[in-house]
Amino acid sequence: MMVYVTLVTSAAILLIAYVMAMSSKELVRLLISLELMFGAVFLALMPLFTIPNLTTQAFSIAVLTIFTSGGELMILIAAMVTFSKKFRSISTDDVVAGGDRL
Amino acid sequence: MDTVSLALIAMCCFAVLTAFAALFTKDTFYSALYMSITLVTIAGIYALNNIQPVFVLITFIFVGAIGAVTFALAAMYRDPRPKIQVDFVWFIPAIITFGAIFNAIFGFKNVSSAFTGSEVSAFVEKYAVFALFFFALAILLMLSVVKFVRREEV
Repeated sequence: MMVYVTLVTSAAILLIAYVMAMSSKELVRLLISLELMFGAVFLALMPLFTIPNLTTQAFSIAVLTIFTSGGELMILIAAMVTFSKKFRSISTDDVVAGGDRL
Repeated sequence: MDTVSLALIAMCCFAVLTAFAALFTKDTFYSALYMSITLVTIAGIYALNNIQPVFVLITFIFVGAIGAVTFALAAMYRDPRPKIQVDFVWFIPAIITFGAIFNAIFGFKNVSSAFTGSEVSAFVEKYAVFALFFFALAILLMLSVVKFVRREEV
């Protein structure tokens, strides 16, 4: 029962974060939505800790996920600061990638 | 239903509510605040199930380090006339996806619900090389970020 509650909560937070990312008009809000997505991913890892033989592996996956997502967010923050310096704006309307306007 | 289960349900509901608050609030600064509360609650769920190392990692890295930077950025780029940034059309695919996930989750029948603790010492003993490579990767990643920002400044 508790595993179900955790997984449903994780899915709910993930989808809220997706809606937030799709609707965001500022890069800061996009960053916040990404952090929420990673939070949902951490919650989805919880059921791994219910299997006694896999707790160490679950912990290693959690460590890997936390540090990788932390590094990824730091890169996004650096990119955001650079973008702000260059364009004097943090609006997602000014973001271009691969020649297409996002 | 025991106290731990009730606390878990309450914390899960609170995490979803604060995530909704982060989505619907007009001001980005408050959105960052609600996001931090959500992450602390998620970390708290780990602590409730006796997995303290993950609680410490999430709280230190996601709330203490990245959360603080997000706060600073949100305060720096604060919109003087904040507006709600929700495109309600995106709720339709989100609800459909949630329905599919919900159905998939409840499709599993034989799931144990007994959480067991985790030991950092066992992780370090078993995955020493993994941890070493991992810290090397983190340092390289941060060095590349510094290089990227410095190159942009020139």
